Amino acid sequence: MKILKLRKEKLDLFASVVQQFGEVHAPVEQDGKYVFKRLRRWSEARLEYDRTILPPKKYFLPPRETLFRYRPGEGFAPCSEGLDQRTILFGVHACDIYAINILDRVFAGKYNDPYYQARRRNIVIIGIDCSPDQHCFCRSMRADFVDHGFDLFFYDTGDYYQALVGTALGDDMVLASGSIFEAVDAADIDNYKRRSWNKRRAFQLEVEIRDLPEIFEMEYQSGIWEELGGRCLSCGSCSMVCPTCYCFDVADDVELGSLAGSRARTWDSCLFASHALVASGENFRGPRASRIKFRFYHKQRGFVAEYGRPSCVGCGRCISACPVNIDVVQVIERLRGVQDAGSR
Amino acid sequence: MSKPRVGIFGLTGCAGDQLVILNCEDRLLDIVALIDVRDFLMASSENDAACPLDVALVEGAVASRRDAERLRAIRNRAKTLVALGTCAVWGGVAAMDRGADRRKLLEEVYGEAGLRYDAAPTQALHEVVKVDLNITGCPIEKDQFLAAIAHLLAGNTPIYPAYPVCTECRMLENNCLLIERGELCCGPITAAGCNARCPNLRIPCVGCRGPVADANASSLLATLEEKGLDRQRIAARLATFAPEGVAQRS
Repeated sequence: MKILKLRKEKLDLFASVVQQFGEVHAPVEQDGKYVFKRLRRWSEARLEYDRTILPPKKYFLPPRETLFRYRPGEGFAPCSEGLDQRTILFGVHACDIYAINILDRVFAGKYNDPYYQARRRNIVIIGIDCSPDQHCFCRSMRADFVDHGFDLFFYDTGDYYQALVGTALGDDMVLASGSIFEAVDAADIDNYKRRSWNKRRAFQLEVEIRDLPEIFEMEYQSGIWEELGGRCLSCGSCSMVCPTCYCFDVADDVELGSLAGSRARTWDSCLFASHALVASGENFRGPRASRIKFRFYHKQRGFVAEYGRPSCVGCGRCISACPVNIDVVQVIERLRGVQDAGSR
Repeated sequence: MSKPRVGIFGLTGCAGDQLVILNCEDRLLDIVALIDVRDFLMASSENDAACPLDVALVEGAVASRRDAERLRAIRNRAKTLVALGTCAVWGGVAAMDRGADRRKLLEEVYGEAGLRYDAAPTQALHEVVKVDLNITGCPIEKDQFLAAIAHLLAGNTPIYPAYPVCTECRMLENNCLLIERGELCCGPITAAGCNARCPNLRIPCVGCRGPVADANASSLLATLEEKGLDRQRIAARLATFAPEGVAQRS
C-alpha cells in the first residue's frame, strides 16, 4: 500500500481535482446534524463531522429502488437507472467503510446482488479519520480501522493528512493532482503512531465482544427482552440508520387497469410487525419483545456464526436515533453483568 | 367483462377524501375508463341510488342514526366496502370526545334546539358494518388511493406499510423533532404512507393517519412525559384522530 502525505491547505486543491472523477458527495450540516449530500461547492463539506443521520449505505442500497418492470407479452426489463453513476463519497469514517465491507459479504458473497455490486463498482470512497464521541464504540467492535474497502484514506497528522492509497483509482486521483502529495518521512510516521495511540485512549465507551455470542445464548430467556419489548416503539429507526442493516421488502406496483407493473424493494426492519409475517397469517415473531430480541441476536450472535464477526460496527447511530433511549452498549453491559442468582 | 360498478359516498366528514379522488385530475379519465361510477353525489347530478355495487367507497364517520342507516343501506348494495379516510377508518376528529355526555354537548352548542338533533356518539365504519378494506389518511393520499384501485381491479388486496411515519422520516434523513427538539411528535405510532409530509416541513406529526398496527402508545407517552410534556396535552393529541377503544381488526 502506497502511503503519502498532503499538506492540509492543499486539500481544497485536491478536491477540485477529484471532481473530474465523478460527482462529489460529502457530509453537509443540516440543523446541527450531518447528511451525505451532493456538494454544490466544496466549502459546504464538513469533514470534522460526528456521524451522518443515514450511513453511506443509502448510496449502495437506496431506501427504495425499482428492480425491474414487467409487462405481459414483453417480459421483464431490469432497471439500471443510476447504477453507472460515478459518485465520490468524500469523508467516510472507518466504521462506515468497515460496514460497507460487511455489506459486500452479504451482497457480493453467497448471494449475488447485481444492483448493489454495480453501485459498489462505481462509487469511489475517500475515507477520513475521526475522533470518538460519547456514542462511539467502533474500537470495541474492531471497526475503528480499515485496511481495505476505500480508494483513499486520510489520517489527520496535524499539518498534514497522511494518505493511504487503497486502489489503482485512488492512485490515479493522486497522480492527477500533480505533485501536491509528498513522500512521508520518519517524523510523519512517528506522528501517525502517536495519534493512533492517543485515539485509542479517547474512547469513552467500551464493550467486550469476546464470548458475547455465547452469553447471548445463555441469556436467551433473560427478562431484559420483555422489558425492551415494552419500551420499543417498533419504529425501525435503529435499522434505518444502521450501516449494516440490509433487510429489504419486495413488492409490486401494479399499473392501473393492466397486468403490467414494476417490482421495487424498500428497506425493511425486523422490528416491524410484518417482518416475520407469512402468507397463512402466521407471524413467527409476533410480540415486540421477540422482534427486538431478534435484532440483537442477529447483530451480535447470528452474524458471528455466519460471517465470523458481529455485524455491528459501533458507529453509535442506533443509540442516538432511538426515541426511547434503547442503548446497545447498555444492553450488552447488562447481559454481561453478573446478577445475584437469588434475585432471578 | 363489464366494468365494476362503483359508488362513492360521504357520511359525516369534510368531504376531503372525495375531493382527493376528484383531484386525481390527470388520472381521472383512466379511472372512469376502467370503472363505472354509478353513485357519486359530490361529482354527479345523475345517480342511481339503488343499483347493486361492486365497490362502495365510504368517507366520513357515523355520527347520527341517519348515517348508520345510510351506511347499512350502502353495505347491502356493495360486494366490497372500502373505508375512505381517517374518519371512516378510525372515527376521526368527530369521535375525539365520544365518551362525553351527548345531551350536554348538543345543548351547549345549539341551545334548546340541539336536543332535537339526530346526533349519536361517533363511530368508525367497522363498528357499524363489515369493512373490507381501509384507506386511511386525513385526507387520503392520491398515490395510495390509485394503488388501491389498481390492486382491486387486478384482484389483489393492496399492501400498506406496517411501520410508522418515523420510519419514512428516517428514510428521508430528516432531523428528529422528538429527539432533537423534544416536540410532541406522533410519528412513532402513526401509520406511514404520507411520506412524512409534516416532519419534512419541520412540523411534528399530529397522527392524522391513525395508529400504526401494534402502536406502543404507552411507551411514547412515558417518553414524552420524561421530556417534560404535559400528560393531558399528550393524551389529547393522541386521541385527536383515533379515540381510545377503536380497535381495528388486522
